Amino acid sequence: MDLTPQRRFVTPLAGERVEDLAARALPDEPLGSAVDQIRSWNLHIFAMRKPAGLILGSDVVFVEPPRR
Amino acid sequence: MFDVIVRNGLVVDGSGEKAFKGDVAVKDGLIAAVGEVSGPARREIDAGGRVIAPGFIDPHTHFDVQLLWDGAARPALEHGVTCIVPGNCSLSLAPLKAADRPKVVGMFQQIEEMPPEAFTQAFDWSWEDFAGYRDAIARNLSINVAPLVGHSVIRLWVMGEAAQQRTATPAEIAAMQDLLRECLAAGAVGLSTSFVDLDEHGRPVPSRFADFAELDALSAVLGEFGRMLQCVPEFYDVDITIARIDQLSELSLKHAIPTTFSPVFDNTSTPDNAPRILARVEEQFARGARVWPQMQTRPIDISFSLLRPSLFFARLPRWVRVLRQPLEARLHSLNDPDTVAKMVEDLGPDGGRKMMGGLIVRGGDAAPAEMVGRTLGEIAAERGQVPAQALIDISLAHGLDVAFLAADMGHEDTDRIGPMLAHPLVHIGASDGGAHIASFSTYGDTGYLFSEFVRKSGRLSLEHAVRKITAETADIWGLKGRGRLTPGHAADIVVFDPATIDRAEERPVFDMPGEGMRYVRDARGVDAVLVNGEVAYLGGAYTDAKSGVVCV
Repeated sequence: MDLTPQRRFVTPLAGERVEDLAARALPDEPLGSAVDQIRSWNLHIFAMRKPAGLILGSDVVFVEPPRR
Repeated sequence: MFDVIVRNGLVVDGSGEKAFKGDVAVKDGLIAAVGEVSGPARREIDAGGRVIAPGFIDPHTHFDVQLLWDGAARPALEHGVTCIVPGNCSLSLAPLKAADRPKVVGMFQQIEEMPPEAFTQAFDWSWEDFAGYRDAIARNLSINVAPLVGHSVIRLWVMGEAAQQRTATPAEIAAMQDLLRECLAAGAVGLSTSFVDLDEHGRPVPSRFADFAELDALSAVLGEFGRMLQCVPEFYDVDITIARIDQLSELSLKHAIPTTFSPVFDNTSTPDNAPRILARVEEQFARGARVWPQMQTRPIDISFSLLRPSLFFARLPRWVRVLRQPLEARLHSLNDPDTVAKMVEDLGPDGGRKMMGGLIVRGGDAAPAEMVGRTLGEIAAERGQVPAQALIDISLAHGLDVAFLAADMGHEDTDRIGPMLAHPLVHIGASDGGAHIASFSTYGDTGYLFSEFVRKSGRLSLEHAVRKITAETADIWGLKGRGRLTPGHAADIVVFDPATIDRAEERPVFDMPGEGMRYVRDARGVDAVLVNGEVAYLGGAYTDAKSGVVCV
């Protein structure tokens, strides 16, 4: 059975920084723009967490905006 | 000669099939016969007008520490619960090195709101490994226990301080696999992990530092035993929850394991969320994955006073810091105008009208009689204050011993919740039994299932409701020989009045170590509870039976 498309995500690699993750997830975007987009789509990591931006190995990192 | 015969009841055997009048006979701890049973027994229990059902199974509890001084997990047993699953949400009391005990106690205190005295005053902490914990609780059990082992403590054992700093190396993952294998062999029913929890210092718990490769490797070990992976996902965000469902599904399919996540709440302010979660679960089950969403029966509410920290203030770090202080320092802070001004400011420009205005002053404490039952918003308006300031002032004026109730915080619409509970893929659970003890009662969800969803709204039949919390739970968790009134199965039996079974009003009691307070709800309409064939509760009183086992 096909799954209904849901918001796409990646999980961090060991030791990965947001720049590395953004370059991996959005390779066609300029790095600065890719980082900004990753930050804006993942407020649970980059706004709500203390310290903000601490990437954990278990994180779900969305690579697109909400679908609805 | 049977040991016990429960006679003349309405037998609801857990299968979901239609109830029938009959007897249930017990011998050597097992169901010996069901139907019209002739022959003598050493003891007979009259169940005329009552239901005879399998004992209920509670799959999400935190009774880990309570079991060390209370083998009945009171009051769970008197509600008809004969088997509990502790060790949820990545936290268990083994395997745990002595040096790491304070860390894990701090996590239990922060996440599950358990008082530190519970870990220091009531038992001799003599074990480190899982078998040692199993043996420590097994000596005194009146209830059956199927314990999970926590991912965070496994990480802590292998990685020490680094467990809360980084991902694991391949060698560390291999060591965690070996340790998990040892725990499963010693009786753990599965592994629990958490994607949301923080320790007492505000740091993510160790399990959150694990990458997917680590969880995959640990799931491979679960696959060797066919055991459960439980997780608490980011339940406040539906997109992340769906991502977790997909991750769990991949692990379930790859390693042929059952998985479960909890909680799933329904909230009328975000009415699409729970249906979206269930739709994804349906899709994943159609692929062959086993990813069981746990849903509680009871509405969400929180009670608190300023005598102790509360979940209610979780989003107000300054309030948490103030309330975590010893009493003298806390009073000093609450009497300091600068500190209080900042606390009030934290509520935003409305001074807490939205968050605190609807709080109801509870009775039963030192609350002034003229305030009991009224909202803080009304009282604050009369005093010319904002609610946050009024809350502090009223509390200070009465030794902080004024309790407030935040009612109807979600998951309260019976017409929405009922069909979800009846859904064939929804796992009724998530009681959190034994946790959050000073915020709300985590006991009596089974009584509420019958009173609200069977009797009052008719959303589930009696047989369906019993099946959901007995045979279905046993099947999901692989608890062989439990959950059904079938010859050869364990004689875990509850006798209850279908017309009155319920949970009583929530009330504070002071029966925790160090005279600590917790909220409980007594059982209504439960006549008798048998655990492995022994009468553990009868006529409103617990017996001396110690027939519970660690049962995987």
